Amino acid sequence: MSGVEVFSPQGMLHKSWTAQVDDYAITCGWVLHGKAFLVGDVAGGLYSFEAKSGNSLWQQKEVHHGGLLAMSIHPDGETFATAGQDGHVLIWNSGDGSSSKVLELGTGWVEHLKWSPDGLFLAVAFSRRVYLFGIDGQEHWRSNEHPSTISSIAWSRSNELATACYGRVTFYDVATKQVKQKLEWQGSLVSMVLSPDGDVVACGSQDNSVHFWRRSTNQDSEMTGYPGKPSQLAFDQTGTVLATGGGEVITVWSFLGNGPEGTVPGQLSLHTKSISSLAFSNLGMLLASGDRNGSIFVWFIRKDGQGDPLGAAFVDDLVGAIAWRPDDSALATVNAKGGVNLWDFKMRTKSSAKGFS
Amino acid sequence: MNIKQKVPVTILTGFLGSGKTTLLNRILSEEHGKRIAVIENEYGEIGIDQGLVINADEEVFEMSNGCICCTVRGDLIRVLGNLMKRRDKFDYVLVETTGLADPGPVAQTFFMDDEIRDEFALDGIVTLVDAAHIDQQLVHSNESSEQVAFADVLVLNKTDLISDESLDTLEARLRNMNRMARVIRSKQAEVSIDNVLNLNAFDLDQVLKRRPTFLEPEYPFEWTGVYPLEPGRYELSLEDGPDPTMSLIVVTDQDTSETALNTGAESCVRLYAESPELLHPGNTLPLGKHVSLQLQSQGRKSFFLEINKSQNIGLFTQHTAEEFDIKVIKEDTSVADDIINNQRDLVISPKVERIWVAEHEHDDEVGSIAIERLGDVDPEKLNRWLSQLLSEKGVDIFRTKGFISYAGESNRMVFQGVHMLFTAQPDKEWGDEPRRNQLVFIGRNLDEEEMCREFEKCLV
Repeated sequence: MSGVEVFSPQGMLHKSWTAQVDDYAITCGWVLHGKAFLVGDVAGGLYSFEAKSGNSLWQQKEVHHGGLLAMSIHPDGETFATAGQDGHVLIWNSGDGSSSKVLELGTGWVEHLKWSPDGLFLAVAFSRRVYLFGIDGQEHWRSNEHPSTISSIAWSRSNELATACYGRVTFYDVATKQVKQKLEWQGSLVSMVLSPDGDVVACGSQDNSVHFWRRSTNQDSEMTGYPGKPSQLAFDQTGTVLATGGGEVITVWSFLGNGPEGTVPGQLSLHTKSISSLAFSNLGMLLASGDRNGSIFVWFIRKDGQGDPLGAAFVDDLVGAIAWRPDDSALATVNAKGGVNLWDFKMRTKSSAKGFS
Repeated sequence: MNIKQKVPVTILTGFLGSGKTTLLNRILSEEHGKRIAVIENEYGEIGIDQGLVINADEEVFEMSNGCICCTVRGDLIRVLGNLMKRRDKFDYVLVETTGLADPGPVAQTFFMDDEIRDEFALDGIVTLVDAAHIDQQLVHSNESSEQVAFADVLVLNKTDLISDESLDTLEARLRNMNRMARVIRSKQAEVSIDNVLNLNAFDLDQVLKRRPTFLEPEYPFEWTGVYPLEPGRYELSLEDGPDPTMSLIVVTDQDTSETALNTGAESCVRLYAESPELLHPGNTLPLGKHVSLQLQSQGRKSFFLEINKSQNIGLFTQHTAEEFDIKVIKEDTSVADDIINNQRDLVISPKVERIWVAEHEHDDEVGSIAIERLGDVDPEKLNRWLSQLLSEKGVDIFRTKGFISYAGESNRMVFQGVHMLFTAQPDKEWGDEPRRNQLVFIGRNLDEEEMCREFEKCLV
């Protein structure tokens, strides 16, 4: 990595196109192999934009009565699912924005949903239970009641699903429909990510800490000292570093060697408001961050957790979500004013491939 | 950049039957020009006719450090976290709690969570009091006295149900418990909106102190068993136990979920407040009534239950079933001709059992202490005393308010606190006014003499 030298931040993010949606944009993502960009707003508006031009491909309004809460894009990018305050989950065709299935879970909010990596199942958290649906909309399985409302779900692999709630993380074996592992800790877990190999579980906690478990060794540890709640967590795709929000500074823990316990994390401090969004590139160690003010930075992160800024931009209001295009050639953000911004991203290094390898 | 005003939040507490929903509907139907979002507990009493109503299941989250002032309401964080993205839809929030809710975690949510704190400001806590039942509720439930203690406004409701004399005595009792709250009397929760909304009763930053564990809720009964019963006649048998009497309530249609048990418990706390009907062995148990079983005679005693439809029956008993070996037995009319049935098969096992933490004896442990002295205080000494007081007694100090004259400071200092979250801010200039101090503490088992003595040591 020492061979990598980057140019000054200017010019790394080339403004491509902007668009406007009707309300506070909370979620976004790429579909159809990066050919279209999808945005969901809090009022239940869905919008698809052509990747190159930003032209509107289709849009839908008020798809969930009361508002939209979550979206998950199927791994093949042809299909996606949304969930809302009406207690429904909708399955959509990415190409034309037609809805193919309506799943009615009951009265209450559906706040979390995730497609399995193999795309066979859609996991949906509704109140204290998690449900599994097939792509045909058939219910495959539902969990027992958790002790409290589920705050996060994640797939560790295609046949293993994790849930987080107050006091515990639970792993379910999807094939046998059994609880595989329970990790308990008295605290309110507000967010969860798993390392790509599924071994490390990291949860942001209400008491301004991050809790780690290593499933293989049963070790756990707690990283405290955050000024706020670390709701934003992101692993790079190799599982080497974990970037965390929870304040204006991005704290990056490195899992090299015996870390992160007992190590000093990387501290990325250029934001002037609390971090609201974090996203690693699909390849390489590029981290994009957004804050409650609308500032966006792209960082090059080293394996020890230290990092340098490569580019910056400003989008005027809280960054709701950030999405790298599948080939990392572009970065898109959505904000609280409904602004959609797309940048072409170029990282030029003396040995250009290294930053991505 | 637009400067966002924080959205004010009013918390509405009070026991089941105190009139929360009536007041809520009154607030919502009045012309006040506000768009109010209501966060209602899952078991709201009656429907509310308004657009933005969100149901929340009360979830109290304690932190691993055991710090009680870090205890928050997870459901509110979730709901408000989503609501803050829809600020164009509302400009006021009302949170209605269940009757058994501890107001502490609700209030603390607005100070402890950074995202909620940035967007919402706790405006005030309004507690409704059922004038006819509060005396007994205060005896039987800690939540009831804490709801009185936390209140900025106490709405003394259903005043038409008791005499003026009793009303005065009751108001005196409540004022003694919480000297900071405004007391408003009403018949059917007809209260002017100005008296409950936009109170600006809180003005708090936060100070964090650690403290040990919290008390569990207390109940006038120790045990609940839920029995699935078919129509028919049943015997409730009791063996000799530790007491010559035992209070009991038979609850019909008692669901077995945790929330249903809590709801059942809440209504039983209220029923327990009514004086019991005395029942002797051989009597039939009335449903949904507070009864006192007279168990003076030796040996097994039987009472009877008539059930006319298939349902779950909840027994809320003053003592545990074990202590009296309580059994529910189906009276079998076919026993005479069918000897295969033996007695054992007819004993019904409870589907669910629950032990409740029994209450301690107390006589308004909750009270207010007001310290008023002329002169200036030494900020350092005061700070030292308050820090120590709050770290030792913060669990039992619900609310603190006051103003202080700091030596050498031209402005009056204002204090606010919830448990050990505490803040001091400079207020208006003293000017020609005589410099004086007033501190009010509302808490449980506070030592007034000692606190006054300690405060005097802080005077210059």
